[in-house]
Amino acid sequence: MITLQNIEKVYRTSSIETLALNNININIRKGEFVSIMGPSGCGKSTLLNIMGLLDEPSKGSVAIAGQPVKSYRDKELAALRNQKIGFIFQSFHLINDLSVLDNVEIPLLYRPANGKSRLDHAKEALEKVGLSNRMKHFPRQLSGGQKQRVAIARAIVGNPEIILADEPTGNLDSAMGNEIMSILQSLNDDGATIIMVTHDESMAKKTHRLIRLFDGTQVGDSLLQGVAGAGREWQGASMPSVQTLPSTPKL
Amino acid sequence: MLTHLFKLMWNKKRTHTLLIVEIIASFLVLFGVTSLIVFNLRNYQEPIGFAYENVWTLNFNARDQPDSTVGEVMQRVKERIQTYPQVESTTLFSSNAPYTMNMSNGDVTNGNARTLSNQYRTDLDMAKTLNVPVLEGRWFNKSDESADVRTMVINTPLKEALFGDEPALGKQITFGGPGDKHKKEDYFTIVGVIGNFKTQGEYMTNAPGLFQLNKGEARSYTRTALIKVKPGTDASFEAQLTKDLGMLTKDWNIEVSYMENQRQSTHNITLVPVTIFLIISGFLLINVALGLFGVLNVSITKRRSEIGLRRALGATGNGISKQFVGEIWVLATFGLLIGLLFAVQFPLMNVFDLKADVYITAIVLSVVVIYLIVTLCAVFPSRQAAEIQPAVALHEE
Ligand SMILES: Nc1ncnc2c1ncn2[C@@H]1O[C@H](COP(=O)(O)OP(=O)(O)O)[C@@H](O)[C@H]1O
Ligand SMILES: [Mg+2]
Repeated sequence: MITLQNIEKVYRTSSIETLALNNININIRKGEFVSIMGPSGCGKSTLLNIMGLLDEPSKGSVAIAGQPVKSYRDKELAALRNQKIGFIFQSFHLINDLSVLDNVEIPLLYRPANGKSRLDHAKEALEKVGLSNRMKHFPRQLSGGQKQRVAIARAIVGNPEIILADEPTGNLDSAMGNEIMSILQSLNDDGATIIMVTHDESMAKKTHRLIRLFDGTQVGDSLLQGVAGAGREWQGASMPSVQTLPSTPKL
Repeated sequence: MLTHLFKLMWNKKRTHTLLIVEIIASFLVLFGVTSLIVFNLRNYQEPIGFAYENVWTLNFNARDQPDSTVGEVMQRVKERIQTYPQVESTTLFSSNAPYTMNMSNGDVTNGNARTLSNQYRTDLDMAKTLNVPVLEGRWFNKSDESADVRTMVINTPLKEALFGDEPALGKQITFGGPGDKHKKEDYFTIVGVIGNFKTQGEYMTNAPGLFQLNKGEARSYTRTALIKVKPGTDASFEAQLTKDLGMLTKDWNIEVSYMENQRQSTHNITLVPVTIFLIISGFLLINVALGLFGVLNVSITKRRSEIGLRRALGATGNGISKQFVGEIWVLATFGLLIGLLFAVQFPLMNVFDLKADVYITAIVLSVVVIYLIVTLCAVFPSRQAAEIQPAVALHEE
């Protein structure tokens, strides 16, 4: 579903140069639920941004759904993001001046669709996250967990094959976090490929596969749970199996 | 997308109140200026109906001379003027002659309709001296001079006001309204129709006007002589003329002006206030535009994360740019709708007696200018918005 080859990302500012990602090779298959862990600043968000075509790698190649991303032309990227990818963020990123329903409709505004079908899809997506009764509410009237559910509805409203979630439970208490997690799991059961950055070991354990980053380098890629045996083949046979690395933020 | 922007802006209307008020205010000011300009331009397009070139205006102030003799003297003055080879033609005119600031008007009726009309007194040579074409019938001639003949020449606006599309020649009109008691002998017969006659110049409304012949007692009313001189006639003739006429009129005061100069000063009476108004409102609009520009810049900085989000969800940089221009259009539309509520009262209630289409043209022009200004103000900030990197914007908070 997503293939990254020899990805390198360097941030250059006038004074410093940061190597945020170094020689990353990842192949994510259709239907996988992958978690990415690593200390703060190790490049997880950068990796997700590159997968989500929000950022261009300094080196290496990206392929989404079998199609290599050749040109980083704005129009094509925007269309790919819109059709193939749903985003979920730690801080929800809801637009406070729009109702829940209007927030969820946004991705559909960037593709040809009439108002009626937009409304139907948005309602359907809200139903999936159990928020049909909050459609007319505004974000400020919702709890953190509810906000994240709205964000999930917004991510799935366009029926994308891939969902990228950057610490979706990071701002939530564990009960709400679990709620979000089970929604993601059921989306995955329905066929969505999900890549989730998390700091929470217990959340990561609920996914199929765990990729660990450290200082911009991939240091681990392991299958979790029973699903590992399901005839999957990993790219790069030399990939180390489960490694124990610091997963808590280091100073 | 448009409904989306309407919803977004509607929900944000509180934060944008000031902006909307500014847009309403600038629309109304603009509406005022454009109404004035459109009104004057409309007038300007209507020809004045006479030729002012090489015409001199001689004003005679008879001091305390009794009216009975003034008429006599003015007649002799005219005859004297006609003797000079430099003079092509001359006519005596009432004090509301072209490009003087004087007005004389009153109601006129044909028995049914009533209209306010300028009333001029002049003589047989007016049409010739000012080169006024007679469209129907004839100008006054000797047959009109006998005391029992009551004839009038009217201009086209008066004809239209009283008779519409019907012919006016031979019809009877009189002073006052249709309800007034009129005797048969109060009526005048229309013998000629001229085109326009805009004595206050190009910017004057094309007002109704009627002409009566100065005869009998009324001879004393025409104390202005309009002289058409041959091209190139110079000030030395003016000196000779005033000297000669001074002998005829003794202690009267004679004032000579060139109609071309008078025309210029009448224009200034219209143009100076319009220009001042235009400059003031221009500054006002620039002010509003700068304010708008600032507000937009701030709002885009505040909304970086929204921009990042929209990009992630599939908006192109261009799309973001369009969104911001669209938002400002929506805001302008809110303001304009409110402003229109006020502005449409003017044509509806016929304020200042201007034609409705002057106001409507002004409204359309003002709406266009407002949209243009807000678009200009939005272009630069919205370009900036399009440049924002989504990955960076989403990271901040
Ligand atoms: N836009 C940027 N400009 C410069 N440096 C950046 C930028 N974004 C991220 N970085 C740097 O890249 C590294 C990885 O950042 P990030 O991917 O956000 O880490 P994580 O999400 O794992 O906490 C960090 O050192 C961070 O400071
Ligand atoms: Mg991060």
